[in-house]
Amino acid sequence: MAGRRATNSSSSSSIDSSNSNHPSLSQPNTDLSTDLRLGLSISTFHHHHHSSSYSREQRSDWPPIKPHLRSALAGKGNNLDHLPTFFVKVYMEGIPIGRKLDLFAQDGYDALVRTLGHMFRTTILCPDVDRVHSKDYHVLTYEDKDGDWMMVGDVPWEMFLTTVKRLKITSADIC
Amino acid sequence: MTYFPEEVLEHIFDFLSSHLDRNAVSLVCKSWFRVERWSRRRVFIGNCYAVSPERLIARFPRVRALTLKGKPHFADFNLVPHDWGGFVSPWIEAMTKSYPGLEELRLKRMVVSDDSLELLSRSFPNFKSLVLVSCEGFTTDGLAAIAANCKHLLELDLQENEVDDSRGQWLSCFPDSCTSLVSLNFACLKGEVNLVALERLVARCPNLRSLRLNRSVNLDTLRKILMQAPQLVDLGTGSYVHHPNSEAYVKLINVVKSYKSVRSLSGFLEVAPRCLPSIYPICLNLTSLNLSYAPGIQSTQLIKLIHHCRNLQRLWILDCIGDKGLGVVASSCKELQELRVFPSDPHGVGNAAVTEEGLVAISMGCPKLHSLLYFCQQMTNAALITVAKNCPNFTRFRLCILDPKKPDPVTLQPLDEGFGAIVQSCKGLRRLSLSGLLTDRVFLYIGVYAEQLEMLSVAFAGEGDKGMLYVLNGCKNLRKLEIMDGPFGDVALLMDVGKYETMRSLWMSSCEVTLGGCKALASKMPMINVEIINENDQMEENPDDGMKVEKLYLYRTLDGSRRDAPDFVWTL
Repeated sequence: MAGRRATNSSSSSSIDSSNSNHPSLSQPNTDLSTDLRLGLSISTFHHHHHSSSYSREQRSDWPPIKPHLRSALAGKGNNLDHLPTFFVKVYMEGIPIGRKLDLFAQDGYDALVRTLGHMFRTTILCPDVDRVHSKDYHVLTYEDKDGDWMMVGDVPWEMFLTTVKRLKITSADIC
Repeated sequence: MTYFPEEVLEHIFDFLSSHLDRNAVSLVCKSWFRVERWSRRRVFIGNCYAVSPERLIARFPRVRALTLKGKPHFADFNLVPHDWGGFVSPWIEAMTKSYPGLEELRLKRMVVSDDSLELLSRSFPNFKSLVLVSCEGFTTDGLAAIAANCKHLLELDLQENEVDDSRGQWLSCFPDSCTSLVSLNFACLKGEVNLVALERLVARCPNLRSLRLNRSVNLDTLRKILMQAPQLVDLGTGSYVHHPNSEAYVKLINVVKSYKSVRSLSGFLEVAPRCLPSIYPICLNLTSLNLSYAPGIQSTQLIKLIHHCRNLQRLWILDCIGDKGLGVVASSCKELQELRVFPSDPHGVGNAAVTEEGLVAISMGCPKLHSLLYFCQQMTNAALITVAKNCPNFTRFRLCILDPKKPDPVTLQPLDEGFGAIVQSCKGLRRLSLSGLLTDRVFLYIGVYAEQLEMLSVAFAGEGDKGMLYVLNGCKNLRKLEIMDGPFGDVALLMDVGKYETMRSLWMSSCEVTLGGCKALASKMPMINVEIINENDQMEENPDDGMKVEKLYLYRTLDGSRRDAPDFVWTL
């Protein structure tokens, strides 16, 4: 574990990066800078053993977590939310050119309605609350996997994400 | 004394499972010693160097289940060099000759080679259970031998081992005749497994109760497995990633919804947090949840999940949950007994961290809590005093403040009083880990109050020898003491050398003990192996006795210095 890691670091980092041609060991060398580099690389070999003064960066023995967890956390940055986008088409009634919207960028129905309201410059009503029948207001509908057109907002958001195929903003005077 | 025939004694002794009881029984008379010795089936050896395999076999000739631990605990944190020791091969070689009936082997922090696994698989026809925890030295070839040759295998449990995946297909080596598996855990393996072989294996093992998959097992395979094995009680998922909009995900939701038998859930080694709602329907049945390897789940998502887990007894989680999330745990999980909060950002100054607030909330909401491991940004004395009052039942209390030597941020005082309150209130405390700014005072409290303490871990704490002496003098039941970066030196080490024969081991690294002090100890105590670990290549032939010892590990032993010590370990 620790020994293995230290061996890797001494062979691949300090010595090789500073020596372009010859491995330092092969030539009898009175060049002090090589000796210094060798000295430095050996001390990095042991750096984490001799630092009784605590340093916040990258001690391999602190905090005391097991190697498996340590490497799982190190790889954490790579685990982006897989499939980070989910774009669906959005049409507004009467406008032939549609838009595309990333549903994953919304954290729920409220955000969805607000974003679409900005995108299409209209007010989208909540079907249960606002009972207005007028062409100035719109409601949001979606096509589900069965091909049916449904009102947005009736099912939990996570369930909605599993069945939605596309969105349509229709005039409130129809519904 | 009434005479019982030995068969009767043996029958009676069969009911004794506790080692303490059996040890007591052995002391009664020669006859009882003899009968007990032949009837002992299970042996636990906490330090593999404390006794030799030959001595074990001579003492207990008919053992069927053996547990062995190798490297010291701090090996988990990179403090013990590779090749230090803890080799299992002499044990397996000795047992092939003497324990043909061996059924179970459990190893922790040991070096296990493929050859040993192969030998194991061929030598014990009744072998049933192999559990390897934090071990290393083997590849999937060794696992293939176990799979292929152990005809009555019930359990193969690999926990957090360092395994090299070679190109073979070890899972496929389970023969078609293998239908007995009860428990299979390969979550720590990094490589691919043959998914079809896995599905078939699960389908033909109707007694399978515990299955923990590795990262290579995708969601689709998981769904198929769940459909084949509707009786799993303990499930560790592999990769839990799917597009919520996909057909496969909808199918998974339906399978999981009706999966009522699962009580323990872990894994999520790779997870798309949006898929988490699929497990809400089974959360109410969960008593154990481990999300400590699940990266990238935000606090809000964790909170939503925890809300559903009202029967949780054990929770292992990352500190992304935050203090607010711990508040939700406190209000939702009234049955909680064990909590572990791990650091998601070990080296950063992250926002993702918990503080004393979370712990206080837990202590108020979870009266049954008795086991804690808590990595946090900061802690206050007031909080610890409150926790001690709310939870007097702690048996294990491990606190790790990420910034060592950090004082109470409110009062700027050391945390002596807080930990003092814990040891005073929790009369059953067996294990304690300290952190933060601490003086000798905390050790005084520990020595005085922690009567049941068996294991103490100390880092960056104390002011001088007195601290260590308080502990060594006071804690009568102390078995393991491990200290890193402390001001304790030869005076503390040598004050009461007889104490070390009552303990399993002592570890001291980056302390003030000298070579001379260790030599003195070694000369006084022949039954103690005093080992110095010295990795410094520039060591002279005859180092000065005043030289500070980088790492000291001493342990009691019946069989003298070990013969497998590498060059950098000096036994004095």
